[in-house]
Amino acid sequence: MPDRKWHSCPMVGTEPRLPSTTAAQGPELISARRVSKAYGSVEVLADVTFDIQPGITGLLGSNGAGKTTMLGMILGLHPIDGGTLAVYGHNPWSAGTDIRGVMGYAPEHHTLPADLRANDFVRHVAELHGLPRSEATTRASDALWLVGLGEERFRPMGTMSTGQRQRVKLAQAIAHDPSMILLDEPTDGLDPVQRDSMLDLIRGIADDFKINVIVSSHLLHEVERICDGVVIIDRGRTLASGTIDAVRGNDEIAVIVEIDSSAVQAVAVVDSLMRAGWTASSSGRRITIGGDDDSVFDAARDHCVAVGVGINRLQRRRLSLEDVFLEKLG
Amino acid sequence: MTNPLPPRTIGSNATGLDETGDQQSVAQIFDRGYRRYEGERSGVRGAIRSLVNHSLRHAMGIGRSARYKIIALLIVVMSYVPAVVFVGVAALIPIETEEFLPTYAQYYGFVAATIYLMAGFTSPELLCSDRRNGLLGVYLASPLTRVTYLIGKAIAVFIMLLFVTLGPPLLMLIAFSLQNMGPDGFVEWIQVFFRIIVSSLLIGGLYTAISMAIAASSDRVTVATAAILAIIPGSAVVTDRLVIDAGLAPEFNLANLMFLPRAMVFRVHGESGGWPVNGNPSYTMVLAWVFWFALSVAWVWYRYRRLLVRR
Repeated sequence: MPDRKWHSCPMVGTEPRLPSTTAAQGPELISARRVSKAYGSVEVLADVTFDIQPGITGLLGSNGAGKTTMLGMILGLHPIDGGTLAVYGHNPWSAGTDIRGVMGYAPEHHTLPADLRANDFVRHVAELHGLPRSEATTRASDALWLVGLGEERFRPMGTMSTGQRQRVKLAQAIAHDPSMILLDEPTDGLDPVQRDSMLDLIRGIADDFKINVIVSSHLLHEVERICDGVVIIDRGRTLASGTIDAVRGNDEIAVIVEIDSSAVQAVAVVDSLMRAGWTASSSGRRITIGGDDDSVFDAARDHCVAVGVGINRLQRRRLSLEDVFLEKLG
Repeated sequence: MTNPLPPRTIGSNATGLDETGDQQSVAQIFDRGYRRYEGERSGVRGAIRSLVNHSLRHAMGIGRSARYKIIALLIVVMSYVPAVVFVGVAALIPIETEEFLPTYAQYYGFVAATIYLMAGFTSPELLCSDRRNGLLGVYLASPLTRVTYLIGKAIAVFIMLLFVTLGPPLLMLIAFSLQNMGPDGFVEWIQVFFRIIVSSLLIGGLYTAISMAIAASSDRVTVATAAILAIIPGSAVVTDRLVIDAGLAPEFNLANLMFLPRAMVFRVHGESGGWPVNGNPSYTMVLAWVFWFALSVAWVWYRYRRLLVRR
């Protein structure tokens, strides 16, 4: 997906125009290096390092992992305590006003102004991002139609369901044609059908309009469905980051063997395999052997028999993000 | 995204000709759909302008349920009623009533309650609501910062207060001038005009700052409203007790938030009035005004600088 350039969103008046991210700066939309943040004595982020490329990226982690704090720092709402953070090659704390001008943000909470009509709310947010009133009015309707609320757009938000409010939040995030949107738990409170619909909508917005998306969520399997890349944070530290396939390890061809004995026996099998020239490693009772042709399966069987252990599971590696998350947690 | 649909045509046919072959006007609806925006953006100034507009609409109840409209409308109407009555009386019986009409400075005594009510209802409605319903997080994710957000809100509160502090005296000035009961001569007219402007700035500015400071201290609209309506008149009670009953120095009257700006208005208009703060020289009143204004602004900033925004 091509990166959207800053010059598509010129600022007028006293606003400086941010330059495009240059090739020398790399293709990353966001780059974080050893970022740390604490509120008083509470350390929220300790050592966060990642690069976010164009496309849809999932910012994953359990509740309290530091995802929302990370989003706040990307928006330039609070400074980092240590490390470096660059958004489009700029420090978001010092260039926050300009960065937020071309970003959309959908907050996590659902308590939007109850007596405000959805169309008025979306139009107001579009105007806040610098669109003229007439254009903001038109685009508010367009955005609400896009998210499936065309007929409901003049209803007060207090009368809307959680699913509809999630869509209003998405509409206000995209109404001003941002180059990137940050969605904080966009599927929170939705039933499975609504959740699928919302995920399809997000994927569609990224594909059809080339808007880069960062989705913060604690539901790994959902994000796995739509994301091109992922950053997994736990207790303020990066557990993994990169493309989905790279993080899952699915780009490394391998066979997984799960034995019915102890971890010590697994190490013995790995030693046996390595003496025979195979690439192998173990984690607990799980053994990973490089390659995935039939000879690997034969070798796994033979060396397990040689060590005297039984095989519970033997399959090509196909990890989910949840597997990776649990594995990284140990 | 390019236009996904062809234009929909309304008419007998797409050529624009009716059954007889005559040319007819043809209406076309272009379903543009969501698409890229390539136009200009107005930046921070546009964001502040939008915030002020939205806040004013919110405070006036536009686009909201009827009860919000009624409160704002009632307060504004109440502030204009005395002016309309005085102008009407002067028009009907001008000679006899001229001496009984209030001066421009005295007029604020008739609408003091509406000024407190406007401050009490507007600031909490504009500040507390944003914090409670999470709109503050949306604002701070836009080109607005905490400072520009507060500036926008202060402008909106101040404009609402101008409705009740500037509008009625100006109405009186214009109406009396049309009835040949206004200031004598152009120079005096301009002087009175500017005195009215300065008076409304003094009252509006101080009550904008104080009401915002109180509203910044609570997330609950009703609590903040009650606090504003209690603290401003309450300061008069407290300072009276301190100076009159306890015999403390008259400088304590400078903490009388109810009478301080109105006493200053009298001095702006060159009148004395019977204010408790009259024992103090003008410069101490100005210093007291600046002190309360600065203290309120500092408190608002302190609260918002520390505020963890709910996202």
